[in-house]
Amino acid sequence: MRGYLLAAVLLLSSLSSAAQQAGTGLTRLAEAPLAPDFSLLDVDGNVYRLSDYRGRVVIVNFWATWCPPCREEMPSMQRAWEQLRQEGILMIGINVGEDEDTIFQFTADYPVDFPLLMDSDSSVTRKWPVRGLPTTFVVDPTGRIVYQAIGSREWDDPALLAPVRALR
Amino acid sequence: MGICVKPVTTLLWAIPFLFGMSAAVVERGVDTETGLRSWEWREAGVSLQLVQRLPDQTRAFFQARGFSGAAAERIANACIFQTIFRNESEQPLSYRLDDWRILHRGASGKLMTRERWDAVWQEGEASQAARIALRWSLLPTSQRFEPGDYNWGMTGFGLPSGSTFDLEMVLRLGGEKLTRTIDGIVCPPDREVN
Repeated sequence: MRGYLLAAVLLLSSLSSAAQQAGTGLTRLAEAPLAPDFSLLDVDGNVYRLSDYRGRVVIVNFWATWCPPCREEMPSMQRAWEQLRQEGILMIGINVGEDEDTIFQFTADYPVDFPLLMDSDSSVTRKWPVRGLPTTFVVDPTGRIVYQAIGSREWDDPALLAPVRALR
Repeated sequence: MGICVKPVTTLLWAIPFLFGMSAAVVERGVDTETGLRSWEWREAGVSLQLVQRLPDQTRAFFQARGFSGAAAERIANACIFQTIFRNESEQPLSYRLDDWRILHRGASGKLMTRERWDAVWQEGEASQAARIALRWSLLPTSQRFEPGDYNWGMTGFGLPSGSTFDLEMVLRLGGEKLTRTIDGIVCPPDREVN
């Protein structure tokens, strides 16, 4: 056990040293594909269906607790959510492949109150154009993916959020 | 916790100025706290960093995600690096790991991609949850980064601990094909965490 704890500390240390800064900007997807619908549970057992939010802008973030840049961007996502929720923009985190206990423990260290959904078998993730974690998409009110970001971002940066807000 | 990475070698390659930007640099470093070694290639606003992962680290990570001891051991001893790819150029960057080559003792090999790992496991050796964790923790087999994008992921080179190899990378930056080599990469040593 001691060895595992030390290994975890060493891992985090070495990864922190490798971390530099978040990525920048959002990429506009010219083809604007239709966002694949999903129906997933959050950690409290509530069902979220993407198509229920047609007419609203939705930010969809694919992540995992073990993914260093995913953890890195969570606090700024929460800060962004505190602004966006009042503007009618929804933010959703889709966890890839982990269970509710793991996510619950994660939220003790990274408190967020936007919905964290569980894609336990990664079947939803595979339908979206996700290749690595984190990847975030912005879905417009017509249900099309119009922006994408690969890697973490400072989500409460007003310049980053301006094109998202402009979709309303 | 402040961690210092000490650059020990910097090589300036004799590569012409491409895309009106800087020539290639490979910087080698040693983390003064952990002793882990790293290699970072930078050129034209694009960078790739490889950081050693001790087998102990990797073993613990995958056992915690449902791999059997034997299966975790197999991954841990596959010369695993944490890898950070970053595109700070003004052009799209893409790669396919299947195009890359590991040059070791006169032979050429391929990286252990998600698809190659999938083919490794025997029935019952790795649960679905474990395979999902491995799949998503590896650097994507192919990726396209727009300006400002980056990814983290593990890369596996399938060589014994302590092996030295060269990595030939093939990238496309703004439609231009780049073939570059990072030489003298050393697989992480199989030592215990102190």
